[in-house]
Amino acid sequence: MSDTRSHPDGPRPDDDDGRQVWLTPPESMQHSLFIAAGVLATVIASYVGLVAIPNWQVNRLEPVMLDNGETYPAERSELAQKGKDVYIDLGCVYCHSQQVRQNDFGGDLSRGWGMRSSVPLDYTREETPVLGTMRTGPDLRNIGGRQPSRQWHYLHLYNPRITSPGSTMPPFRFLFDTVPIEGRTNVPVGRVDMPEEHSVPGHYVVATDRARALVEYLLSLDHDQTLPENANRGTDPEQVDR
Amino acid sequence: MGDSETDLERDAQSRKAIDASARLPVVFMMASGVFWLLFGTVLAFIASFKLHSPWFLADQAWLTFGRVRPAHLNTMIYGWASMTGIGVLLWLQARLSRVRVPLRKSLIAVGVVWNFAVLAGTVAILAGGSTSVEWLEFPPWVAAILGALFVVVMAASVLTFVRRNVEHVYVSQWYLFGAVFWFPFLYIAGNLVIHGTGASGVAEATANWWYAHNVLGIWFTPIGLAAAYYFIPKVIGRPIHSYYLSLLGFWTLALFYNWAGTHHLIGGPIPLWVQTVGIVASMMMFIPVITVAINHHMTMVGHFDKLEYSPTLRFIVFGAMSYTLVSVQGSLTALRVVNETTHFTHYTIAHAHLGMYAFVTMVLFGSMYYILPRLTGREWSSGPLIRAHFWTTGLGMVLYWVGLTIGGWIQGQMLKNPDIAFIEIVQTTLPYLWSRSFAAALMSVGHFIFAYLVGRMLYEWATDRGKDRLPPMLGGDQ
Amino acid sequence: MTLIYGLIWGSWVVFGIATVWAFAWAVRSGQFRQVSKGSKVLFDEDEPVGEMTDAFPDVPDDQLPDPDNEGNDG
Ligand code: HEC
Repeated sequence: MSDTRSHPDGPRPDDDDGRQVWLTPPESMQHSLFIAAGVLATVIASYVGLVAIPNWQVNRLEPVMLDNGETYPAERSELAQKGKDVYIDLGCVYCHSQQVRQNDFGGDLSRGWGMRSSVPLDYTREETPVLGTMRTGPDLRNIGGRQPSRQWHYLHLYNPRITSPGSTMPPFRFLFDTVPIEGRTNVPVGRVDMPEEHSVPGHYVVATDRARALVEYLLSLDHDQTLPENANRGTDPEQVDR
Repeated sequence: MGDSETDLERDAQSRKAIDASARLPVVFMMASGVFWLLFGTVLAFIASFKLHSPWFLADQAWLTFGRVRPAHLNTMIYGWASMTGIGVLLWLQARLSRVRVPLRKSLIAVGVVWNFAVLAGTVAILAGGSTSVEWLEFPPWVAAILGALFVVVMAASVLTFVRRNVEHVYVSQWYLFGAVFWFPFLYIAGNLVIHGTGASGVAEATANWWYAHNVLGIWFTPIGLAAAYYFIPKVIGRPIHSYYLSLLGFWTLALFYNWAGTHHLIGGPIPLWVQTVGIVASMMMFIPVITVAINHHMTMVGHFDKLEYSPTLRFIVFGAMSYTLVSVQGSLTALRVVNETTHFTHYTIAHAHLGMYAFVTMVLFGSMYYILPRLTGREWSSGPLIRAHFWTTGLGMVLYWVGLTIGGWIQGQMLKNPDIAFIEIVQTTLPYLWSRSFAAALMSVGHFIFAYLVGRMLYEWATDRGKDRLPPMLGGDQ
Repeated sequence: MTLIYGLIWGSWVVFGIATVWAFAWAVRSGQFRQVSKGSKVLFDEDEPVGEMTDAFPDVPDDQLPDPDNEGNDG
């Protein structure tokens, strides 16, 4: 066992009492084990507390029946689901949150970003929620209700400054094609109604499949429904009322 | 004490033998780290510029802000800071345990594969494969590779510790030992829960912030503190002020830091108790932070003049002071009254850089100034350039933090007031975003200077030049 | 699912006990005794307390602050 020692000079005499400082390997191994266990325990405890238990608490949330007979949250269409993938791969989350804060906390409700604050139930069907931590742009949790116009979104994505002068949102022109008007008999699907001064002469500007999916997803973002009184929202009741 | 001539000789030889064993793996990790530092710096600058000038490089999907930003973060975290941090960790552990670095060949292989993994992950993000889960943007298959590599590092570290030739376990060892046990668990568990089917809905968000906060808290912070606890006393030649405090600091950090992450979700759609736990843990962090602050300060008292003479000391003391500042700021930011304003603003970005840059990166710079000459047997080629590196990065960081903290605070105040149109907020933040780009330019200059110094040293080493300039302090001939 | 939660909680208990154990070991083996002596493991005969070990390349050794012998009480 002693060949596991790789000190360049072998044992060192202890300065104070001349005793050899030479832990036998099994003993020092045990010590390491103890420390390792202690150290791991601290992080495993937080794992249980912050990951396992919350997961257990909110994973059981079931969609509820609204007063109008619909289930909530509704399932997203396949196209909208594809759009969410586009939202994720283009990283919209680094500028936009998707969570409406509580009434007395921040100006979310008064800005019209929602009629009520978001609760865990709203996300129960989402494999990957994109809650976000940054608001360089506005919260988008209910953008579908706030801005239901497909054409507005196309224009805005093509060049945000068309719809929102002074915007610092980047243009996503690569989500659009330009097709020559000449020689076409029909108007292509996904054509964008460009204002005169921004149009591309002699061309249609057309939303690609990705752009159409993305906008479909944005329009599906509408989580303002009033929840039934007794629905399990996944949070404490007083948290919602405040 | 002791018959000095032979003891002296033996101590010097033993130190040299340990450094020699660390040479290849540690130099490889650090050189790779510097490469990723430059790569990440370019990405950082592009991202920063885009925020005030959105037309900049906007025509290609792979350069869009939402990809460049996570690419920057991941190259810095998993490329620069992790690789360099592992280099520092291996060297420190070998020195403190007084044994050679074990598994040297495997560690070099780890470094090689690591570089490919980070490259693959970064390309994947730019190509549209990002997961948009903050701090875990690499696709799961890249994460799987990195997770496996972390386990090898952990094995090397445990072997070093088990074989140690010193009875006493110095406080840096506690931190390093903590880091190598915490992080692989954190990384693997975090990835499994988030990319697997373990969590969905808002539980994924709590898992996300448990992970992301802990990357700083129980991976980079322990490495940074271990380095500070080693280099401050070692450079000035004076033992740490209160050894007892340092151990108290370690265990309180271990107990509280990893509960604090959910303060990133205050006010959000997660159960209230989860937020409260995060806030309470953030407050408890005052204990380890203040013990560390007092300890480092008291060690330095009477020795501040030495800052003028030692590059290592300058960077490390800058880093250690930033640790106190970032931690106090973090605890205060977790308070609901403060968080209401600062959440979702550039204030948070400033805070994150105070941690990852002013603390971690500066400590890593300082450590490299000490370690690399001892591994390559070459002295740094220019004093003025080292000073230039210090002042550009130091001032750049201060400017960065001040600008975005003020800008973020104003942004937060305006967001709370529904009478102010959103676009007006966007316009108000612009000057602060410009100040950040300016700061980024300063810091970039520093990084290129540093890369030049490291490159020059490695070149002299590879071509067997410059040996004559080695002073006795670095183990050169007397 | 029960199995997984059993494992999580089970490991929690095991590790909790281990923490106490580790702490007990640390106390028993004297990690907290002689604490000030422990802080000197960084130094040796060749790089003793009182001597700086890092300097800018353009600062000659003889211009460094004088070594102080503070704390070097053997
Ligand atoms: C660099 C930050 C940034 C990125 C990245 C970004 N946005 Fe924006 N976004 C903004 C800003 C700033 C505004 C406010 C000005 C405006 O309306 O253009 C905004 C506004 C919006 C609005 C209008 C919101 C409203 O309430 O009127 C929508 C919709 C939107 N963004 C969608 C997206 C989508 C989809 C993506 C990803 C493809 C995205 N944004 C990426 C910054 C960004």
